[in-house]
Order: sequence, then structure tokens, then C-alpha cells
Amino acid sequence: MTVLLAVSGATVLALAPSRESLPPTADFDARTAASPPAAPPVRAEDTGSPTTTPSASPVSSAAVPRWLDIERVGLRAAIEPRGIAADGSADIPEDPEKVGWYRFGPAPGEPSGSAVMVGHVDSRTGDLGAFAALFDVRAGDEVTVRRAAAPPVTYRVVARARVDKDRLPASAFARTGRPVLTMITCAPPFDAERGGYQRNLVVTAIPAAPTG
Amino acid sequence: MISRTPVAAAASLGLCALALGGAATAAAAENDDQAMVSVFHAVPGLDVDVYANGDELIPDFKPGTLTDPQPLPAGSYDLKVFKAGADPKGKPAIQKTVEVPAGANATVVAHLNADGAPQLDAFVNDTSDVAAGKARLTVRHVAAAPAVDVRAGGTPIFKDLVNPKEDTATVDAGTVSADVVLAGTDDVAIGPADLNLKEGTANVVYAWGSAKDKNLALKVQTLTGMHSAPSGVNAGATNDPDAWPAYAAGFGLLGLAGALTARRVVSRGSRA
Repeated sequence: MTVLLAVSGATVLALAPSRESLPPTADFDARTAASPPAAPPVRAEDTGSPTTTPSASPVSSAAVPRWLDIERVGLRAAIEPRGIAADGSADIPEDPEKVGWYRFGPAPGEPSGSAVMVGHVDSRTGDLGAFAALFDVRAGDEVTVRRAAAPPVTYRVVARARVDKDRLPASAFARTGRPVLTMITCAPPFDAERGGYQRNLVVTAIPAAPTG
Repeated sequence: MISRTPVAAAASLGLCALALGGAATAAAAENDDQAMVSVFHAVPGLDVDVYANGDELIPDFKPGTLTDPQPLPAGSYDLKVFKAGADPKGKPAIQKTVEVPAGANATVVAHLNADGAPQLDAFVNDTSDVAAGKARLTVRHVAAAPAVDVRAGGTPIFKDLVNPKEDTATVDAGTVSADVVLAGTDDVAIGPADLNLKEGTANVVYAWGSAKDKNLALKVQTLTGMHSAPSGVNAGATNDPDAWPAYAAGFGLLGLAGALTARRVVSRGSRA
């Protein structure tokens, strides 16, 4: 019953002002909401190239992120380097308990740009994914990224926002600018006929101490 | 566009002579009337001096050398190439007037034509963005050699390329083993060589030299900053229409989601 309502009620929900759906920490919303919507990436013709082997990450192997912790909300997830799915979206680990690091962008600890982690909010069986915990995150929460053979990098949460999935700001994947950690998952409403969750939850954190 | 091209190493090169009024800075490249220009010397066995509009542009330029991109005012350049140390008032080894369009990223190539005579050509580099996860691969045939195919991992990706033409494709980022064969054959003329095509870059591969002199070679020019963001993040179990959305199955930890569901029920109830 609930499921049916949730699906068929999506239209009704869409009419609700999005501001109402913000968490109590609505001040979180300012940064991402103020960013311009992402320009659709140029879709270059894909000639297909089965002969390529995945490029090594530009990051030294020692700095590859391995574990993500947000202790206050009980989040601890293994990190897998991921690239792009066949449909052009960010590739996400099959295992909902793992999160993916967007390996074409900066790694945590790099001096500039947005290190992006993507993770499932749920699984096909109805269990919660690792990043469901992002819904509990508050400003000031400490995020720790443990790396393969380099000291951990610590961040502090400064912003949380929901955006329509097709309006995820390109700045979330910035390769230059101030160093940030951007954690992205999916958020309601859920509409099975339109591909599932219609929004993204975006949590932004900044280095707790100077990176080096 | 232009501003994406790295110019960190620009100041060290002789091209400043052409960039009027101290224009040889990265900032100048932002101007609409500027172009980014690289020069590739692909004539084997000949050290040269390059002159543009009567000014010496690159002294003692060695074969196989490719200059970094430099900001130059757009316009028409009368290019003359002399044997190194020769009198620039004499007859040049190669001469050509090249148009450099505003806003373009171009590479001027001194090379051999298919019959082995030196000539100059200007190629415009495509610096438009590529999709996330991709890289651009361009091959330019500037060698004294017949038509060729270019293969990656043994599979032809460019066919029947002739001097001085180019061909371009967008490919998955990664390393490919590339070689050049005589068109329609398996006779390897150059390579194989590993090309590391990094995500968000444009890679221009020059096949240069002379088949007759057995000095055919590859030169790679890489331009960076053409990356795009992924098209989205689909982080729910959304590909399966029968999936059971967690928030509907008692997404209790999300007080918020619970409230949303409740409101939805109420809204629907009031409409019914």
C-alpha cells in the first residue's frame, strides 16, 4: 500500500515547494542551491574503443582513498575507484555497502578541486545503502578518508543540499578551485517510471586541517 | 576554450618575439583576438630557423621538436623556414602564409609531403569538451609515405589516411597500443607504441618522417582541460522497476522522508 502510494503520489509530491523538503539544517542548502545548474556535458560521438585499458588514476597509488568514515552517524564504508557507467553517469559500486570515488577527478587530500564520493541510498532488497547515513549528517560532522599508504585526510561537513538529479551542479565535479569532499547519493521522491529517485543529496565537506 | 590550454611553460620559448606588447602571458590568451599556436618541426635531418613576418620566431629548431602552445595575435603570418644560420634574406627552404584564426588552438607543422618535399601546414586543434570518461584521439599524416591505416590493439580505427590529412575519434580514456600500417595491409610502418589517453584530454598523434629513409616515427601532442562532469549520479537501486525503495519500506532513520511519505498520503487522501 505504501509503495503504491509512494509511486503514484510522485506527481503530487512534485508540486510541493522544494524548500519544504529541506532538512532542519536548511542553511546547508545555500551553497549548492545557489550554484548554477550543471550544463549538460557535450556528448561527443562514442566510436567505442574496446581496445583501451582503464587508465591509471592520475593519483599516486599511495594516495588512493580506501575507507570513508563519518563516526557520529555510524558510517564506515570501503571505497572503490570508479569511472563512468555506459550511460555517461558516474559509476557506482554494485555493492550498496561500498562507496565509489570518481577516479577521473581529484583524490581526497589533493590541494584543489572536488574529490567526489558516490554511494547508494538503498539496495534492491530494500536494505539501506552506505550513504543513507548522509541523511543524518549535520554541519560540523567530521569525515575521515583513510588512504592506501598516506596519512588520513579529515574533513568537516559544511553543507547539505538536495537538488533535482538533472540539476546537479557541474561544480560538484570541479577539478580546480578550493579543495572539498563532495558526497552524493539519491533522495526522494521515488518514481519508478522516471528512473527511480528524482533528486540527489549532496553533502559538502572542507578540509579540517591544511592538506599537504 | 583557449584559457583551458596550459601555458605554464610558455614564457621560456622564443615565440615571445612575435607576441607584441608583452602579450605572451596566459591572461592575454583570454582575449578574443588571440590564438594558441604550437609549432612542430617534422622535417628529418634539417636544423632550421623559423621566421614569421620577417622576425625570427624559433632559432635553431631541431627535427622532432614540438613547442608548447603560445598565445599569439590572430592574423596572417608569412612563415619562412631557413636552414639554421642561413641568411634570412635568401631563399627559404619552405615558405607559406598561414592564417591563424582568432580563438583557435592551432599547430603549425613543417613536414615532408608524400613525395618527400618539405612543406608547411597549419592544423586547428579541436579543444571542445569530451564526455566524462573519454579522450579525443587525432592522427595527422605528415610523413613522406603512402596512405596508411592506424590501428589500436590491432583493430583499424582510422583508414586510408593520406598526407597531409587528419582524422579524429572520441575514445574511452586509457592506454592503447597503436601502430601504423600501409593502408589495407598488415605491414607495420610505425610502432606499436603505447598511447596513454588521459581522461578529458585531446591527443594529436603525428606520423612523420620518411618511409624511404626509414625514419618514420610518431610524435604525440597532448592538450588538457577538455573534461566534462558525469551526466548524473544514479545512486538508488533504480534500474530495477521492481525495486523496493528503501524510504517507502520504512525509511525510519529519515524522519524527513517519513514526513514526506505521510504528507503524500495526506495529499492524496485529500484529493481523492
